[in-house]
Amino acid sequence: MRYLLGIDVGGTFTDFVAYDAMQRDVKVWKVPSTPTDPINGILNGIHSALSPDTISLVRLGTTVATNAVLERKGGTVAYVTTRGFRDVPFIQRGNRKAHYDMSWVKPKPLVKRRHCFEVTERIDAYGKEIVPLDEAEVARIADRIAADPEIEAVAVCFLFSYLDPAHETRAKAILAERLGADMPISTSFEVLPKWKEYERASTTLADAYLKPVVSRQLRAMRDRLDGEGVGAPVVVIKSNGGEMTLGAAAEAPVNLVMSGPTGGVIASRYLAELTGIDNLVTLDMGGTSTDVATVLGQQESFTTNFEIEWGVPIQIPMLDIRTIGAGGGSIAWIDKGGMLRVGPHSAGARPGPACYGFGGTDATVTDANVVLGRIDPDNFLNGTMKLDKAAAERAVGAVAEAIGQSVEATALAIVQIANNNMVSALRSVLIERGLDPRDFTLATFGGAGPPHAAELMGEIGIPRAIVPPHPGQFSAYGFIVTNARVDRQRTTQLTSRRFDAARASQILEDLVADAVDELKAQDFTENLVVHRALAMRYLGQNYELELSIEPADLSPERAAGLWAAFHKAHEARFGFAIPGETIEIVNYLATVVSIGDKPAFPKLAEGDGPPEPVGRRSVVFASGREEAPVYRREALLAGQTIGGPAIVEEAASVTIVAPGQHLDVDQFGSLHIAAHTNA
Amino acid sequence: MRFSDNGFYVEKYVKCANCGLLVYGPGIQTEGSRDIYCSDWCVEWAGLKAKGDPEPRLPIVPPRLPIEEAMAARVTERPPADPVMMNILDSTMVSICREMGILLMKTSYSTIFNEGLDFTCALADAKGDMIACAEFCPTMIGGMPILIKTCAQEIDFSTLEPGDVIVHNDPYRGGLHCPEHTFFKPIFADGALLGFAVCIGHIAEIGGMVPGAFCGEATEIFHEGMRVPPVKIRKAGKDVEEVWKLLLANCRTPRQNYGDLMAMIGSVDLGVDRVGQIVEKYGADVFRDTCEDLMDYSERRMRAELDAFPDGVYGFEDVIENDGIERKPYTVAIDLHIQGDEVVADYRRSSPQARGPVNATLGVATGAVYNGILHVTDPSIPKNSGCFRPIRVVSPPGLVVNVDYPGPLVAGNTETHPRLANIVIGAMSRCVPTRAMASESCTGTNFVFGGEHPDYDEYFACYDIMSGGWGGRHEHDGNDCVIAINGNCRFNPTEVFETRFPLRVETFEMMPDSGGAGRWRGGLGFRRELVVTQVPITASQCSDRHEVRPFALFGGAEGGNGGTMVKKAGSEAWSTVCELYGKTSSSKYANVRFDPGDRVLLWTPGGGGYGDPAERDPGAIAEDVAEGYVSAEAASRLYGWSGKA
Repeated sequence: MRYLLGIDVGGTFTDFVAYDAMQRDVKVWKVPSTPTDPINGILNGIHSALSPDTISLVRLGTTVATNAVLERKGGTVAYVTTRGFRDVPFIQRGNRKAHYDMSWVKPKPLVKRRHCFEVTERIDAYGKEIVPLDEAEVARIADRIAADPEIEAVAVCFLFSYLDPAHETRAKAILAERLGADMPISTSFEVLPKWKEYERASTTLADAYLKPVVSRQLRAMRDRLDGEGVGAPVVVIKSNGGEMTLGAAAEAPVNLVMSGPTGGVIASRYLAELTGIDNLVTLDMGGTSTDVATVLGQQESFTTNFEIEWGVPIQIPMLDIRTIGAGGGSIAWIDKGGMLRVGPHSAGARPGPACYGFGGTDATVTDANVVLGRIDPDNFLNGTMKLDKAAAERAVGAVAEAIGQSVEATALAIVQIANNNMVSALRSVLIERGLDPRDFTLATFGGAGPPHAAELMGEIGIPRAIVPPHPGQFSAYGFIVTNARVDRQRTTQLTSRRFDAARASQILEDLVADAVDELKAQDFTENLVVHRALAMRYLGQNYELELSIEPADLSPERAAGLWAAFHKAHEARFGFAIPGETIEIVNYLATVVSIGDKPAFPKLAEGDGPPEPVGRRSVVFASGREEAPVYRREALLAGQTIGGPAIVEEAASVTIVAPGQHLDVDQFGSLHIAAHTNA
Repeated sequence: MRFSDNGFYVEKYVKCANCGLLVYGPGIQTEGSRDIYCSDWCVEWAGLKAKGDPEPRLPIVPPRLPIEEAMAARVTERPPADPVMMNILDSTMVSICREMGILLMKTSYSTIFNEGLDFTCALADAKGDMIACAEFCPTMIGGMPILIKTCAQEIDFSTLEPGDVIVHNDPYRGGLHCPEHTFFKPIFADGALLGFAVCIGHIAEIGGMVPGAFCGEATEIFHEGMRVPPVKIRKAGKDVEEVWKLLLANCRTPRQNYGDLMAMIGSVDLGVDRVGQIVEKYGADVFRDTCEDLMDYSERRMRAELDAFPDGVYGFEDVIENDGIERKPYTVAIDLHIQGDEVVADYRRSSPQARGPVNATLGVATGAVYNGILHVTDPSIPKNSGCFRPIRVVSPPGLVVNVDYPGPLVAGNTETHPRLANIVIGAMSRCVPTRAMASESCTGTNFVFGGEHPDYDEYFACYDIMSGGWGGRHEHDGNDCVIAINGNCRFNPTEVFETRFPLRVETFEMMPDSGGAGRWRGGLGFRRELVVTQVPITASQCSDRHEVRPFALFGGAEGGNGGTMVKKAGSEAWSTVCELYGKTSSSKYANVRFDPGDRVLLWTPGGGGYGDPAERDPGAIAEDVAEGYVSAEAASRLYGWSGKA
């Protein structure tokens, strides 16, 4: 038996999915996480279910980089930059986090001001050298860095290096020569060759800041695994959802800052492929927070707008995942104007919702779901944990008294307001990006997500929802279906007035070659798929639209078609175009993916007739109270249909079907919810 | 307000002698005086103040324009407020405003829009009350309610059609300053006017005496660019070509302005579509009622905040160093009368209006009071017209805080606004010390320039903002290099700046020791040195704080000054524009020519300190010295620091 093992290290649980390609068998399990040393949780989980020598490959999402930047526990970095500009990371962009909040403290960069050094050199806005690099000065800086035992890594960021990296490359060579191979050095051209010096500097600093800690921890993990007999290769998942080897990760750790939450999105992309659904919006709802993302045309959506905290950007392309502080543990409260609010404060795991019986007295979303009969207090986590319905009613009752409503109406209001918070997050990834919810299917997972799907669909106008198998471990699923992926981007401006097709072509093909080299260096040589795009705008605008192109589109004859395509895309996205206007190409983007083998998941047997409910219970829906049949998910078979109202229960979650909706079971066991066509 | 018979022009701008609002219709006159008042409340308040009553108490009666009188007649019983609907509608409307702003940011051409984010998007109801806005530029948020209501006096809302778009920038009709253009588009439901999608944004180049609008030597509004009364730029979805041509003929950068105007129209188009979708879903009546509920809710929240402040009269003043025309200071003064859950903010102790462009319009002065109050109250109160109801602004006409036609005023919105907001916060320091902040930089620096672009064969104009230090606050030092609180703008990255404009940036660094000493010290300002490279530029500036430093609180020290120096090509000496070009003021001047090789050094003020420097944590002083925020010399002089450098 040879297992491909996917591991998702969460805050509370570490989830495992093992796939045996020969037997087409999938195992799913979880163990408590060990936050002080996550490797313990990983090893506990492996030993609890598998023999180490049966594992062929381990893929995992890692929070090493995420935690290091969020908790500010990275290395001590020296910053080397153009003379006159050492304060760029401190001055930042001049704006502030929120209006009217005088208690706000501007974030510090990932470097101390005393560790910043200036070098005489200058490239201008045309990419021309106007002041040569003072190499002796770089050498003197190297000596000062060498003399400071605190410094563990170096970041180099010169102005306009995205146009000509020669000075950065040379400075790196001088620094490396004098500091030795053990001193990690990140240059802005290698990390993010795009314009806007603050954003590039911040990203480059993050890479250098992470190098010492990430390489140390990845090495420690490899050693521990080897020591415990897990000799299989290990790959980690990048923030863009692609896999990379441990060696490559240590060289470019900035790629790992959003590794952890990618699993759910990758799994959703695969779900889209399996089910043939083009567009998914994902809702991964846990106890304290909810992640929202989109899959468009069976591809994940990407962003370069990540910030480790407000104002400190890391602009590496990564999966576009929005996190909001709304989950099952979110607390309902009354504000000073008498308005009922839900979250962002959460009861967390301890004391947790009032119904957990750990002494919590605040009403949470989970308590409201218990009061409404949507969650069965006797059947939570397969009945391993009894919930205290009376405590839930007391907690919701206190809120009800304050707003002068019945307990039931208040519970309903709590759920609706929590849903509204999630609708706001869904709006931000759909409507605010010009996407129409009617073209989407809502994929809900995480333990707390599926109970909310039925009502969220109606609130935001998404016609269909899907609950995948094992929604509680769905993120770990993602890690057994990843590909290797490298994204490359570069800024060089060219306009439609004087378009140099050969130059544009050359830039793009260089990026593609770079990306292919990076994959080959990690032995990802099979099934390479190349994607090219241009980021374009009207001359004068400051934000770009990305248009996918083929190499042939960059021939002089076909350039007119390129401009026409931009006008059309502008009209589609923003509602207007400016015909005849000069168009500027700003960024060149290349992505190369090495498509890995995908597991063939087991299929369910075909059902013969409707499923049998295991019981009935009284549930409050937005439309009123109804007796709803209760089904066990394990008993459902492919092709079966259930009319709402209904409840489907399983180990880690519960799915609600509202009146007027029905649920279909597909061949892989996913549950599809939709409104009756005539409802 | 007296209009010509055909309504084509204004014969006389008539303002309330007490609060300064424009008066439409006869107004109220008292015996033996030619003064006109907008309301009985203003007559009474002016009387109490004239008698020298130190603590007059007079419950607020909100001013009512004719449009509100007309709409008030239509008010019907509302069903009880639905908290779930309020929650849904508020977050949905804020999301719509944000989406409008994102479209504007992504499609506009001026860097002041797309890097600077100097704009605001909002929704208003049919009375012109703001019902929601997104977090963009605060001056515009406070100015919006007056603006739309003023337009309503001149455009008969009953004649509006779907697809109409109105443009307006007139500072004398509720506006802020000429660059600030307002676009609004009516929203209809079942044939009835439901409200408006609104966006206000700063157009960098609008003609006038200098490229970039900030004319430091303007003495009339006509020097400051093209003035546009509320006119339709689109009628029933069709461009009104004549208006477009007039607008684009009166600026130096028509291609860029066309892009900006299209972006603003795109933004209100989007707002109207999105509101249409939610009205379709919930119904127009629910929408209207819930908007009223939301404004009532914000009002309750604001009243609860004000009620918690001790009653009393709290005054504060600051000084504008000069107006660019004469070397003479101007006082801006506020008295906050906190009476129960309301506040009257009275500016009458301020100086008469200036000859130069430092004057503020009533919209600016009102917005600054709102801004200051919002800074000392709970930031989570939804921002709509409701939260402003318990605040009554009194800004008599003819003062530097309510300029009379045709006085110049372009700096009022960027320089005077933060000074006013800061004195409001300063006054509150006497009421709730732990919520206040010492003075911030209070300036956008406003160095503007234009010239012929060597690469693009067209004129360019640049308005880029610079940021200074925040004041020290209870428990925190001032933030370094953060924009003045009238805006929330970003400045241009050097790589964008040099790509767009034929200049080079030589240094971009913080100014050590510019933060005022204090238990919590002021934040630092920064300096930027520019070199003119290929073509000459024509530059102007409209700034302040070169001589008057940011004030401190509770025994702290004042923040550092800003400044501007020039080094001509071939010269080794740095000089002021006064020395080189015979200008009156180094912070306010117009049309100076800089040639290739000339260098301009601009630096911004640091913030004032809060509390006695002797009480500063020694660890914080040592860290300041180690990081170079405070020099060792200054640390020993100001804090008695004895550590090693």
